[in-house]
Parts: sequence; structure tokens; C-alpha cells
Amino acid sequence: MSAIVLEGLKKAVLEYDADAAAGWATKAVEQALDPLEALDAMTVTIREVGDRFGRGELWLPDLVGAAAAMQAAMPVIEAEIQKQGKQRSSLGTVVAGTVFGDIHSIGISIVVALARAEGFTVVDLGVNVTAERFVQAVIQEEADLLAMSALLTTTAYEQKKVIDALTRQGLRDKVKVVVGGGAITDEFAESIGANGYAPTAPLAAELFRELLLS
Amino acid sequence: MVMGGFTRNFKPLNLLTAEQVEKITWGTLDILEHTGVRFESDRALDLFAEAGCAVDRDLMRVRFPPALVEKSLGHCPSSFHVKARDAKHHLRIGGNSVYFSNSEGMRAVDLDTWEARPATRKENADGLRILDALENVHFLATYTPYFEVEGIPSVMAIPESVAGKIRHSTKFQETGYQLGCEVFTIQMAQAVGIEIMGGCNPSSPLAYYGDAVECAFRFCEAGFPLHLASGVVMGGTGPATVAGALMSTNAELMAGVVLIQLIKPGTRLTVADCAYPMNMRSGSPAFGAIGVSLHHAAFNQLWRSYGVPVHNSCGFSSSKIIDFQCGYEKAIMAMIAALSGCHIVFLPGGIHAELIYHPVQSILDNDIAGMVGRFIEGVHVTEETLALNLIEQVGPIPGMFLDKGHTREWWMREQYVPKAADWLTYPEWIASGKKSALSYAADRMQDILATHEPVPLTAEQDRDLDRILEQARQHYEKQGML
Repeated sequence: MSAIVLEGLKKAVLEYDADAAAGWATKAVEQALDPLEALDAMTVTIREVGDRFGRGELWLPDLVGAAAAMQAAMPVIEAEIQKQGKQRSSLGTVVAGTVFGDIHSIGISIVVALARAEGFTVVDLGVNVTAERFVQAVIQEEADLLAMSALLTTTAYEQKKVIDALTRQGLRDKVKVVVGGGAITDEFAESIGANGYAPTAPLAAELFRELLLS
Repeated sequence: MVMGGFTRNFKPLNLLTAEQVEKITWGTLDILEHTGVRFESDRALDLFAEAGCAVDRDLMRVRFPPALVEKSLGHCPSSFHVKARDAKHHLRIGGNSVYFSNSEGMRAVDLDTWEARPATRKENADGLRILDALENVHFLATYTPYFEVEGIPSVMAIPESVAGKIRHSTKFQETGYQLGCEVFTIQMAQAVGIEIMGGCNPSSPLAYYGDAVECAFRFCEAGFPLHLASGVVMGGTGPATVAGALMSTNAELMAGVVLIQLIKPGTRLTVADCAYPMNMRSGSPAFGAIGVSLHHAAFNQLWRSYGVPVHNSCGFSSSKIIDFQCGYEKAIMAMIAALSGCHIVFLPGGIHAELIYHPVQSILDNDIAGMVGRFIEGVHVTEETLALNLIEQVGPIPGMFLDKGHTREWWMREQYVPKAADWLTYPEWIASGKKSALSYAADRMQDILATHEPVPLTAEQDRDLDRILEQARQHYEKQGML
């Protein structure tokens, strides 16, 4: 029976079916499956999707669809992991969001999908995120890396405010900061004290790996 | 009368049937009435509420009655004049006129390494001088030519860009907005007695930020024209389908048209189509894709029926270098834009995305503009061009036309001779050192830089620009941005 549930979870991710993924996650808990095993099934699948994207066999809508399906199953699986007092394995925890004053979501959503496919645990704060909320999430999630996006020239400066807030809280040395978005350049990233700049989502995922695993 | 530029002398390409136009238009009005558009500006929300729109203050969402949208479109002049620094560069935008605007780039690029880097101030001024000299560039785009220039902090990019365009060219310009900089750019234009076109751009999908709205208010108050540019990324910030993306684009632009016409009815404006399919590998826009032209052609047809002049963004390629791909992508986009009734074709100078610019590219594109412009002028059919008497006079071989006055009179008017292309015979080409279009364009760049000086400002105008730039610097210093 557990094999059927695990296959169901894998198939739901491969078919970008969020409803089915959530349904199979509930079944996994009902049937007392090890939640880490359920998570592992999805992680292996999303990595496979990521690899196929990397080889040019799949495209962004496939990758984002698969990540969304996996994400739909996560609340139930994560709650069960917590309930059982277990620990999930991860390449690191990334807090991600678009800065305050900016409601552009696509770039950061792709980054989140790719980072999850790489094997990072990603806390997606969404758009219009204040400096205080970024800092709070970094503390709460014990984040290894903070990824911020700003599409507008007018909101690019918000990234500096967040970095300054991390410094004031004494957190700057504990978390790597990566910035991106249409309004950002290498020089700007350096000038505000970021650890790195990624011009595209696939390069952002690579940069996370480089900063956290090297 | 068309002032400068080209005249399209035949019916534009109609890609859509009348039924398709109707479906897309009704769909657009449906989006505006039921989905609505977000405006992050209390000032705009007040204006919309007063005009009878349903305004959700919490979500900043405005839903528009179709009658108001139609009335606002009716207030837009279908054709209008704008005033440049030199009267020979005044434009009449709309009708069957076709102008070319340069495209821009964030950075300069070295032609040997193809690596981008910030431009120097001299390169920026030289790039402008070259655009001033190019006969097929009629209009200067928002950031021209570079918007990352050494020694210019990013908050000063637009004021410095506007001042540079005024100083180094007498052509008409449009400009952008950020952090309220239009307060200063409008003053600069007024100081030298010209008009500039402001921007008010939606952020897709279906939203306007406060900065865009403030810019619209300020340009309307100054009595200057505005452009609204929508950049839907098909499959990202809009539907992946051309028809769906058209409705999304048009809903964004019509919402902006309503805003501007409520602020000041009759304000001159253009709408710009900067839609791109998403590159589903990188998430970036797929610059130069054929989907861009499909969107442009249908967009132009739709807005022609609404009576509002249009821009099309044809300036950027997916290529990173000046090569075959860059050439064919830009030429196809420009030709289709012009054939389908575009009034301002945004073309010369940009290479990749909006990231890289080079004056050599602007010189090459100037010839694309010349060829496209010549094509849309069409075939002149008169007694004189038919030349029936001449054909009879010359008769069969050994008759010839080369020595005839009619040939001398007409050949150049009928053709476009590119200024930077290889037109040599093969032996001449070998003797020339095997020169390509790229080397001819590089030569022309040097010629222009050695010989062309734009009409200078008066000393007083020059001082005024310096004074206003200094005020802008002090303003941003006080804000802690410098």
C-alpha cells in the first residue's frame, strides 16, 4: 500500500497535479507512512524534473508546475515530520521574497522552484516583504541564505535596507545574501554589501549551491 | 503633412478579422470591468471613484465602466504634433507617418571582446552625436543611449540622460520616471523651450505603481504628451497565447488612457507594445522571437481602430553580438511593425535585451530603417514613373536606359542605398581588404564623430540645465540616495 502512495506522490509531481499531490500526502499520513520517506519520494522526483530541465528536455512551466505540486503536499508532510519529532535533510535553508514596494512575483517564484529542485529548503515570503519581515524569517527559520528580488529601480534600494537591518541585528555574518531582479547589477550588489548577484533564476540556484556548499 | 520620417502609402497589414477585433476588444473591456487594474495611488483612486469607477481601496483595485473607457479613448488625438529643439525635427505622430526611434542599452560593449561594461561620459555624448547625425533616427528613446554611465549615480540617470539628449541632439525625445525625477526633467524642457514625452507604464499584470501615476499628473500639468508602454511577458506576466496577451496588454494600457484623459482630457499620448514571449529556459523575455511581431501586428491593428498612435519595441535581439541573428531579428520586427501601421518603430542601436548598445549597431540599423521606410512609401505610379514613352523610345536591344535623364532623375528616389553595407563587386571587395557591413559602419561612426557637431545650446540654456541638475542632486542627497 505504501508503494502505491509513494508512486502517487511521484506521479502527482511529474504531472504537475497539486490537488493530487495534496491528496496523496493526506493518504500518506492516514496510512502512517514515514513522512521522511514521503518527502524523499517527492524530492527525488523534483530533482529528476530539475535534471531534465537542465538537460533541456523540460521547460520552466514544467519545473514551476512540478514545484507547485510538491509544495501543495508539503504542509501535511511537514506537520507530520514535526509531530514525530523527526529532522528533514536539506542542502540548506533559503528565505526568499520580493522586497517592500515591489509586487513582482515571477522571477522569485522561478528561483524558489529551482532552489527546491536543487534540494534546498525554501521559505517563500512572497512579494512586498518588509525588511523587518525578512529579518524575522531569517531568525525564525535559522536561514543559511537570504534571496531578495527587486524589479524596479525605485525598489532596488530596499535590498540595502534589508542588509542594513541584518547588520544591526548582528546577523549579517550568519546568513549569505543574494540579490537579483531587473534593476540589479553586479556593481549595485557589491555596493550594498550582498554576497552575490544572479541575473537569472537558473544562475541564482547555482549561486546558492556555490555559496553554501563550497 | 508628415514632418520628416516616412509615409505609409498603402493600407496597413490587417492580421485579424473584424470578428477577431471585436472579440479581443470586448474581452479587454470585460477585464477592465470585472477583473480591474491595481493603482497604487490614492490620487488616482480618488479620480477614478469620482468618474464612476468601482474602487476597492483595500486592494487598490479599480473596475472601469466600458462607457468611460470608450469616452477616454475618444479624447485621445489620433494624430498630433510635438516640438523638438530644431523645427526640422518637429514630428506629427499618427496617421500614416512612420518614425524610427533609437533603442537603448544599459551598457556599452567592446567590439573585440563583446563584453559589456558601463559607458564613459564621452561615449554617451558621442553616441548621442551619432544619433543626431543619422538621417533615419527621428526620435530619441527614454534612456539614450546608455543608462549606466561612469560617474552618474543611478538616481541621477534620467535627469542626466534628458540633459544629455538636449545638449547633444536637436531631436525630439521621450523620457522615463523614477523617484519623482520628472519634476526636474520637465523644468529642463521648459528652460530650453521644447516638449518632451513623459512615461506612465503599467507593471504587468494589470498594475500601476505610484511613480508612474505621479509622472502622468506632472506631465499633464505641464501640457506635455505621454507614452504608456506595456511589457507583458507572454506565459509569465500575461497569458502565453497572443490573443490573451493582447487583451491583457490592452486592458493595462486602456486603464492608463482613462487615467490620463481624466487628469486632462485631450492629452496627447501614444501606446507602446513591448510584449515578448517568455524564454522558457531562462525566464527572460524572448527578444527577437516571431511572437513579438505577431503581437505587434495585431496590437497595431487594434489601436488603429481605437484611434491612438502606437510605438513598437523592435530594438532588441537575443544575440549578444552584432551578427546575423541580431540583424534578422531586428529587421523582421521592424518590417512587420511598419507594415502593420506602427507610428514609432523603436529600433536603432540596441543589441541584446535592453542591456547592450553600440553606435555601430545604430548605424547598421539606420540602414534597416531606411530600407523599411522606403518599402512602406510603396510604388509611385504616375505618367512619369510608368515611363511608357521612354520605353518606346529606347526599344529593344541595343537600347538602354542608363544614359537617360529619366534614370538620373528617378533611380535614387526609387531605391534606398545603404550607407554602411557591402555593395561592391567581388574583385572590388577583395581589393577593399574584404570589408563587411560592420567595418563600413565603424568607418561611418568615425566620419560622423570627426565631422558632426549638433547645434549647441545658448550659454544661458546650458547654465539652466546645470542649475536644474544641481537641484536634482541636492534633492536626492537630502533623501539619502546620494
